[in-house]
Amino acid sequence: MFDRFQRTRSLWHMVAAPLVWAVHFVSVYAATSVICAKSAATGDARAIIVGLGLLAISVIAFIGWRAWLQRDLDPDDPVVNQATDDHRRAFLGHVGLLLAAISAIGVTYVSLPAIFIGTCQ
Amino acid sequence: MNRNPTKFWRRWPDPIPHPKAEGVFPPTQAMLSEPVDPATAEAQAARLRKVWKLPTGAHYWTAVNNDQVGKWYTMTAFGFMLMAGLLALAIRVQLAVPDNDVLSADRFNQFFTMHGSAMMFLFAVPLFEAFSILLLPGLLGARDMPFPRLSAYGYWSFLIGGCFVLGSILFDVAPSSGWFMYPPLATEGEGIGPDIWLLGLSFIEVASIAAAVELIVGTIKCRPPGMRINLMPLYAWYVLVVGVMILFAFPPLIAGDFLFELQRSLDWPFFDPERGGDPLLWQHLFWIFGHPEVYIIFLPSIAIASMVVPTAARQPMVGYSWVVLSAVGTGFLSFGLWVHHMFTTGLPQLSLGFFSAASEAVVIPTGVQLFAFVATLMVGRVTMSLPILWIAGAFAVFTVGGLTGVMVALAPFDWQVHDTYFIVAHLHYTLFGGMVFPIIGGVYYFYPFFTKKMLSQRLGRWSFWTTFIGFNVAFMPMHIAGLMGMPRRIFTYPEASGWGLVNLISTFGAFIVAAGILIFAWDLIRPKSRQPLTERNPWRAGTLEWSHSVPDESWGVRSIPYITSRYPLWDQPDIVERMDSGRYYLADAREGLRETIITSAVDAIPQSVARVTGPAVCTLVAAFFTGGAFILPVFHLYWAAGVSGALAVAAVIWWLWTSTAQVPETPMKDVGLGLRLPTYVSGPDAPGWWAIFITMTGDATAFASLVFAMFYYWTANPDFPPQDAIHTNLFWIAAGAIFFILSWAATFGARLLNRRTLVKYARALLVAGPIAALCGAACLALAFWVSGMDPATHAYPALVAAIIVWTLAHVVLGGIMQLYCLAGSLKGKLTPQYDADLWNTTLFWHFLLATCIIAALVVGPLPRLL
Repeated sequence: MFDRFQRTRSLWHMVAAPLVWAVHFVSVYAATSVICAKSAATGDARAIIVGLGLLAISVIAFIGWRAWLQRDLDPDDPVVNQATDDHRRAFLGHVGLLLAAISAIGVTYVSLPAIFIGTCQ
Repeated sequence: MNRNPTKFWRRWPDPIPHPKAEGVFPPTQAMLSEPVDPATAEAQAARLRKVWKLPTGAHYWTAVNNDQVGKWYTMTAFGFMLMAGLLALAIRVQLAVPDNDVLSADRFNQFFTMHGSAMMFLFAVPLFEAFSILLLPGLLGARDMPFPRLSAYGYWSFLIGGCFVLGSILFDVAPSSGWFMYPPLATEGEGIGPDIWLLGLSFIEVASIAAAVELIVGTIKCRPPGMRINLMPLYAWYVLVVGVMILFAFPPLIAGDFLFELQRSLDWPFFDPERGGDPLLWQHLFWIFGHPEVYIIFLPSIAIASMVVPTAARQPMVGYSWVVLSAVGTGFLSFGLWVHHMFTTGLPQLSLGFFSAASEAVVIPTGVQLFAFVATLMVGRVTMSLPILWIAGAFAVFTVGGLTGVMVALAPFDWQVHDTYFIVAHLHYTLFGGMVFPIIGGVYYFYPFFTKKMLSQRLGRWSFWTTFIGFNVAFMPMHIAGLMGMPRRIFTYPEASGWGLVNLISTFGAFIVAAGILIFAWDLIRPKSRQPLTERNPWRAGTLEWSHSVPDESWGVRSIPYITSRYPLWDQPDIVERMDSGRYYLADAREGLRETIITSAVDAIPQSVARVTGPAVCTLVAAFFTGGAFILPVFHLYWAAGVSGALAVAAVIWWLWTSTAQVPETPMKDVGLGLRLPTYVSGPDAPGWWAIFITMTGDATAFASLVFAMFYYWTANPDFPPQDAIHTNLFWIAAGAIFFILSWAATFGARLLNRRTLVKYARALLVAGPIAALCGAACLALAFWVSGMDPATHAYPALVAAIIVWTLAHVVLGGIMQLYCLAGSLKGKLTPQYDADLWNTTLFWHFLLATCIIAALVVGPLPRLL
């Protein structure tokens, strides 16, 4: 897993996008709890959540773009089941790309309530 | 470092290089097709058989082979499940008619608490571990798990803890506050019920983490040569994901148990609002564990489906990458849902909103994998075997549970049905569909692999239809009971409520389910000695476990194959024949040692030969005394518990000293096919190093939960820490932190110097290390002592004390590890070349230093700033 941190050989790069999701989730949870408990300045909370959401989405988009480049599937035979460096690289890229997509959806979902809900209580 | 030759360290000897694999890899076709001399093969097989032989007679119970431990584990978990099922039947009898008095209120409470606790902690989670210990080496063509004695230790701990917790019901002292033990009900509870729950289950949680460590290292490091990450069986992917989830999910509960038990036995008010505590903190810690746990149960069962479906469809899994996405994605997202169990506790609306949204998001990866399975079945040519029947039933039932899950994930809907039978129906649909049905399907599928016999087709069909129909009759009406307003956990209800009919139907259904499960249980245990052995690959499957030996051999695989496909038995002609003839790796056991191959994490390039451990008594002794350390405090026998704990540590040291990181007879050995591998590796190439890394990740999570508690109190309580609170003494805190840094530096330095053959200096540092650690521990204790804080008065000093106790316990462990290395160095077990223990101790100290520094900040300066 630590294999020299080479991009195309690293599980860490594959899970980078959901890690961003996790950090984003914790930040939003912490920010909401603190603001709602300490100041009740809901406007701030909503602005912060939307801001964090946009930031996380852009980082995930970047990760997804890199994964897209790494993915590089053969359109005629997109199954990466060969015991080769190429297929392993494409596989990690493909899963990384899909995880970026799901993380982006996750971040969007978590940010939406800030647009629709006006108050802490 | 090399620039200035006059620097003093340039005069030091160079570090000894780490050994690397030599020779040919990958093997050529010519090498693979060269036949093996039958006489040689026979001699090799005889040696292997001798090395892997099971102990006989009473010594049988000292066995550590994964197939034996896995069988005990599975059968024990199944036995606990049957007992928990009996409790459920008793509950259903009591609820069958209004105003019933078969069970008293208190006994009813004990029964439903134990039903839930046992099904979760003694059946669902352990069964995943049991099944995986049985299966994983077979799937990966490995000889055994990387740490067989750890599996055995985990099993014995599970057995002792499970009997203790479940046995309490016979003495009428079982916990009765619900399987989630909410305070204040559980903290104020009379009797020893809550203590049995907290200590007994903590013990089992520790065993679960041990199993998770084993399974993660097994998946990452014990794959056969050539099985790259994109060729790994999907089951292994799920094991990896679930193992990592256990590491992050169980520790918060252990931290919660730790706080809870401190409140129960020492009256430290963590969950008492009158003294600055907060009962909701427990709910958070419990559900940060509890929600991922649902997926920890569900994913392994769906993993079984991912093995059965391609076989049934005669077709590789469609969308392998998508299924991996689904496993990994669900693993992550499931940690963002815990508050949906707490929608009615008055949290900010905004928080409810995003937990609700996250709960909806997790449906996406879950749906993706179901669609991948359906797609595979559609493009393949399905043979409707018994396993796929159970899997199909699982999909149907789970889908219903998933859809009600989408409903209750919406906060306003949840407010209506919270704590009603609607939830009971929902959770049983997800757990039966997501766990019980696929597991039984898995048992039908893998039974020939486990026992070399087939289960009965006829009984299997009877069992399936009885269970399936009975389940729906029992649980479908509960949706209606819930919508009619029937709350959970009531021991009876009046006739006027109108809930009588639906409950009677449910009770009727429950007995049909029981009949179905009993048919299955009979099929499982009925004597099969006159039944013929199964053929080798009865389902025509493509994965490696079906290369198993019939009749049984305890060596796992005859030789460890070279893999180039996801379904080697379909795609690699001659593979089974070559494995059998010993054409592949490690076909021999010349040294009389149990061995398996360690490969690199992503591309599975061979790295070393691991000598794995054999039968042992020390694991039994260690489990027995560990049990004592957890169980005796229930009866307030603290001294006896302390002695038992010390003996457990002694037994573990005995176990490690006599069997791990032994100096090998030769640094490199020939493993066949022109490849030579090191017999001893240290640092990141070694499985032991990974085990420490993984364990400490879990440990850090538990510690983070304690730190979270400090911030949680601060947000939840307007006056925390109280204005007039006494704080710890900063001077002693700072002194302690400095000593910890010194002790860490000594350990790190000892590792570097030892590798450079400066053994004397290394030993000196290993003497200085424990002394500094001891001084640091004393300073930290003093910082609390001199301040005059009293943990029983308020949650703030209580939490500070708890963090200090936690840190001190780890420092003691760190000191013992330093001394262990010192003893190893003096005894010749640890040398400049063979220094795995020192690498592992250093890694432990990296984590420990972080713990100490964060602890110092959190109990020292931080509260003054809040």
